[in-house]
Amino acid sequence: MELKSAMEAATADLDVRPGFVGDVMAGGRRRHTRRLVALTAAVALLAGVTTGVVLTDSSSVPAVAADARLTATTEGDLSGDRAFISEAQALWGRSKSAGLRPYDNVTEFTGPSNVFWAANTPSGPAALLAQAVRVGDDPSPRVLVGLVAGGGVVQRELDRGQESGLYRFGPDSSTYLALGLGGKVFWSVNPVRGPDNRLSRTWREAETGPGGVAVVTARQSERPVFVRADNPPLPQDFGSEPLRGRFAWRPDTAFVPHPGLGWSGRQCASDSPVEGPGWPAEKAPSPRGDLHQRGLLDYVVDWDATGEWSVCAWLPDGRYAEVFEAFGELYGALYEPSGSFSAPLLGGKAVKGTPVVVPLPDGQGTIVADFDGRIGPQERIHAWLAPAGTKDVMVRHGDVSSVVPLS
Amino acid sequence: MQDFEDFVALRSQALLRTAYLLCGGDKSAAEDILQDVLMGMYGKWRRIRTSPEAYARAALANAAANRWRRRSRKPEAPMEHAETPLAGGHEQQVVDADSVVRALAQLPSRMRVVLVLRYFDDLTEADTARALGCGVGTVKSQTSRGLARLRELMGEQVLTWS
Repeated sequence: MELKSAMEAATADLDVRPGFVGDVMAGGRRRHTRRLVALTAAVALLAGVTTGVVLTDSSSVPAVAADARLTATTEGDLSGDRAFISEAQALWGRSKSAGLRPYDNVTEFTGPSNVFWAANTPSGPAALLAQAVRVGDDPSPRVLVGLVAGGGVVQRELDRGQESGLYRFGPDSSTYLALGLGGKVFWSVNPVRGPDNRLSRTWREAETGPGGVAVVTARQSERPVFVRADNPPLPQDFGSEPLRGRFAWRPDTAFVPHPGLGWSGRQCASDSPVEGPGWPAEKAPSPRGDLHQRGLLDYVVDWDATGEWSVCAWLPDGRYAEVFEAFGELYGALYEPSGSFSAPLLGGKAVKGTPVVVPLPDGQGTIVADFDGRIGPQERIHAWLAPAGTKDVMVRHGDVSSVVPLS
Repeated sequence: MQDFEDFVALRSQALLRTAYLLCGGDKSAAEDILQDVLMGMYGKWRRIRTSPEAYARAALANAAANRWRRRSRKPEAPMEHAETPLAGGHEQQVVDADSVVRALAQLPSRMRVVLVLRYFDDLTEADTARALGCGVGTVKSQTSRGLARLRELMGEQVLTWS
């Protein structure tokens, strides 16, 4: 058995405990806040000492969260349906942990819930509720907003400074509720790739009804994207920040399968130059971001839209390549030794069970990857940079070998 | 901080596996140092977001080495399986997964860290040297001595390095 295989076998069943991510986030926030408070106190003390100013306590700390939704009158075409509103509140109160992530750490529901919107939607009646809560040992109340539909709590969102205000539900997850939050929401489906490989999207405003809530229907296969902005993005502008509701986040449970090809980690198809000028680059490569900014890679909203693997390669001409998977297709980018973007790579479909083959431009060879496989004449594990002119490559998994044509 | 949360959610499992090996098979310690490292990254995220994984692995390696240093100062009982006999000789043709961890636990911390980064995380010698703040020569010598020590502990017949 090889050392790497033995190490992988020894760790194969390991995963973080449920709630780990939340503990990290909460702990990180606490530690960061403590550091800032200590720094501020030190600066203030220094300022007080040098100026002779006596510091006094502030008495202007707000006692309750000031969010109109906590007390607003119910809007929507079911606002007069007292039975539905009562049922929504009952469901909300009955399953207090539903729709929350373990690390939201809500310790107390401090006030009554309020249904601020209730209406019929293409996926049935739905209600949006708000409630003041306490989080951990934070003395300030927070606002919890959530959706009740289909006989249960679909999603809850805790105010953490930047509310997404986007909910998805329904039998085929095709109904979206987008909260205006005092602004405009634009949405788009079905990106189109032009002859120059650049994508474009047509945006339209989500028309908000009573309560500032827009109801939008879009199938997931249409790749809907929502943004909150003053004006609609231009068709080839991929610089907007997409709204990502809770549904878009990775489930916070152990043993979530890796998406796409199912691979995990970063493997290199060639060895890095130990010596020589220019590498590592001053600027770390960011192929996903670079392709997205250029309109070559679509908005990655859902956590499973991209694989969790990448393959890198140092090329004969000194450049660096990185290949990854998104939306079931292969993408990549080439970088100069300085780290500046050189060229995009669009590698076609990623097919599970089939080695990844990405030809490189300018006679730099072909990246062949098959995690845990032995590739090429030297049987390099995981990935191999086949030299230019290579017609086919042998890939072996255990005793099973196959020949992969490269041309 | 959404992208930091995504990073934690997406990469914690892989990083935990590295931490587990770095800690010689102590899962609690691995979770502790991983949580500590990730919490520390929260406040530095803007600075390190371009290469967070490399930062995390380097921080884990150093945290694991420091942990061992602290342990070595105390007259503490060895890890529960550190003294367990390893492979039972040439007749044992299959290495059970735990024996690798047991063997790693018996290596000096810096040697163990080098082997984990090189052979589990597939870092190059240069990247390993960069992560540990040492020279490539040190990585080479620690790798060579570490592999030799592992061979002694596990038996040459049952473990190859390629």
